[in-house]
Amino acid sequence: MQLLEIFDPKAAPKPIGIDLGTTNSLVARVRDGKPFVISDCNQEKLIPSVVHYDARGRVIVGRDAARLAAEFPRETIVSVKRFMGRGADDPETRRLGPYEFASANSAEEAKTVRFAVRGKNLTPVEVSAEILKVLRQLAEDELRSVGGVVITVPAYFDDAQRQATKDAGKIAGLDVLRLLNEPTAAALAYGLESQKNGLFAVYDLGGGTFDITILLLDNGVFQVRSTGGDSALGGDDMDRALATKILADLGAPTNPPGELVRLALDTARRIKHGLTDAPQVEAEIEVEGGSRKISVTRDEFEALVLSLVERTGVACRRALRDAGVSPAELDGVILVGGSTRVPLVQRYVEKLFGKTPLTDIDPEEVVALGAAIQADILAGTKDRADEVLLLDVLPLSLGLETMGGVVEKILPRNTTIPAGARQSFTTYADNQTGFDLHIVQGERELAVDCRSLARFVLKGIPPMPAGMARLEVMFRVDADGILGVTAKEQTTGLEQRVEVTPSYGLSDEEVEAMLMAALDHGEDDLNLRQLVEARVEAERVLQATRKALDADADLLESADERRQIDEAMLALARAIQGDKAALIRLNTEDLDRATHAWAGRRMDRAIAKAIAGRDVEQIEQTVAHAKGVDAHVAEHGHTEK
Amino acid sequence: MSDPFETMGVEPKFDLELDKLAERHRDLSRALHPDRYTGAPAAERRMALGKAIEVNDAYRVLKDPVRRAEAILRRVGVPVGETAEPKPSQALLMDMMDRREELADARRAKDLQAVNKLAIAVRGRERVVLDLLGRSLSTEGSAKAQALPHLGELRYLRRFLDEVSAIEEDLAT
Repeated sequence: MQLLEIFDPKAAPKPIGIDLGTTNSLVARVRDGKPFVISDCNQEKLIPSVVHYDARGRVIVGRDAARLAAEFPRETIVSVKRFMGRGADDPETRRLGPYEFASANSAEEAKTVRFAVRGKNLTPVEVSAEILKVLRQLAEDELRSVGGVVITVPAYFDDAQRQATKDAGKIAGLDVLRLLNEPTAAALAYGLESQKNGLFAVYDLGGGTFDITILLLDNGVFQVRSTGGDSALGGDDMDRALATKILADLGAPTNPPGELVRLALDTARRIKHGLTDAPQVEAEIEVEGGSRKISVTRDEFEALVLSLVERTGVACRRALRDAGVSPAELDGVILVGGSTRVPLVQRYVEKLFGKTPLTDIDPEEVVALGAAIQADILAGTKDRADEVLLLDVLPLSLGLETMGGVVEKILPRNTTIPAGARQSFTTYADNQTGFDLHIVQGERELAVDCRSLARFVLKGIPPMPAGMARLEVMFRVDADGILGVTAKEQTTGLEQRVEVTPSYGLSDEEVEAMLMAALDHGEDDLNLRQLVEARVEAERVLQATRKALDADADLLESADERRQIDEAMLALARAIQGDKAALIRLNTEDLDRATHAWAGRRMDRAIAKAIAGRDVEQIEQTVAHAKGVDAHVAEHGHTEK
Repeated sequence: MSDPFETMGVEPKFDLELDKLAERHRDLSRALHPDRYTGAPAAERRMALGKAIEVNDAYRVLKDPVRRAEAILRRVGVPVGETAEPKPSQALLMDMMDRREELADARRAKDLQAVNKLAIAVRGRERVVLDLLGRSLSTEGSAKAQALPHLGELRYLRRFLDEVSAIEEDLAT
């Protein structure tokens, strides 16, 4: 019996939350309404985000990989998150580090950096996917079957970094329900725990990223008012500052070998951790010609990292200003991220906001816990799905390059997402048949100073005098903070639409190929996975339709409409029993079509209810209930009309 | 673009209670946010996403007095937008030019206090203009067009204040 249960392949998939961190990663789940971090076989909750590629082609992740970093600095990728969505010539990829990078063959290739490891070129997306796979395995060991996943990202991650994270999830074989901003995840865990309402600041200093988020918590609605940060500032930089000093003290050359760099960085990190509790830490470092003793006092360390910590203040003040809030109006400051254990950081935050920060929940676990709660809500397994809602914002402005390289902002930072905007253009030359569009993200005035997201040409405009063609470009930012662009040309009455997804250097085909390569038996495994995915999706749609029928059957306009839905549901349920992914998908689409018009009516009712407010909602419910009774009667053979 | 007042289900007037509007935005978001439709069929998800975007956009428009005024004028068929409206008065242009020069001087001198002083004066004027704008927009039908000069001035004042916060940010770093 016991064994059967453990290996039951039909175990209901359970949602999980993943904190894919710069230094450590965690996976969490909700059990009996409470979130827990899942531990590995050694009872460790934090999995170091370190990936080692060994000589035999094996991939080692976590603590064992971290131990190999000193010996194999180029074959062991540490803090891969800092490279996500970044190009080969990004300043971030040229900082102090032991890696070797592959040279890019094209401009498109240069958009993503590639590590040269044992004759292979690896993108940060693939390396991150290895970490996610280990986390998935960890969750599967405990839950048997993993369903939808929420992965957290720094709030200040731009479009490319978000895309890259989502793709890493895909390659790891995860069904990514949502990307969730780390500070919002932390606030969710805090808010549900403390049941407090009010205005909060979440100060999140991790291994490689800094986020500040100001949000209003009001009876289950977490509304982000503003967010800011620096996606290249964290504990790693403290290590680097201290390591640079250590290398100088050792008299190392200006371009030290990778082994020495890794050794200095690791020693610096250990010293930093020690200085949290001790005023002075001593360490020994092995160099050519024996070992050298290093001693660092907390004062010395703080002098080295003060300017880094002060950089967080700039972002905090701006976020407060954007939210229109003074520090005195805040009801609390929540500390998140391992680097907030540094005493200097705590003192700095206390001074900046004028209040003692909250640290009730472990700052290294709180993000994963929040992600698990959100996954649980999105999977619809919890009643609180009706109470809790996260309203997040776009962290960085989106714009278009105009004449002279100046950016015209289309959606400003801190716009609530999902968000959309449209912009009309016309041709500036006679018989112009194409249009250059350059989409950028950032706050700077000139396009060259912003992050370039996409550059594309719209072709096929019929020749006509300048100013006659009418071109409409629509921007849409979804709830993951990811942009999609649609353009249409409507002068000739022939509407042509182009959909563009900004690329950070990896195409959908490449991601697909990586997914294939990640599977043991290539095509067979891929087919199996597609079947599983189609089933999961179909089950979800069936469940949602049943729920909708329970609530809104009265909005069906005819017995025929009901019959079509019932038939489509039956057909889909039958298809799920089979093993043809394509057939399941077709039947899912059929149900989609059968419910479409009714869904529109249901949405209109939901809107009307929201507008009418709570009193009327109750009246409506009474009416709906009465109608429900009628419908029931009708079903059992009594005709109404 | 659909009418933001209708999207939000509120009375089309200038003096909106912003707290109530925020509450309405939350209620509508509860009904339409993509998180509520993760299990729904694809077409329904797209529909909800479109409506959620519309609601967020309408809220953004109505929160902003300039865009709120524009939306009211559009409803009664008064053309809005800087190219469609009558040219601002010479007096306003001169006045703004003077203030801009002072602001540029204060910026060069990195004189945060002088920047603040200018901002306080402009915020005072902003309150007066908002009041005038509200009153002229509460008239009937096309009489609302009287609001245009006030709307024009409000745009200038707001732009000035945007510049102030950019300078404040700049000087603080």
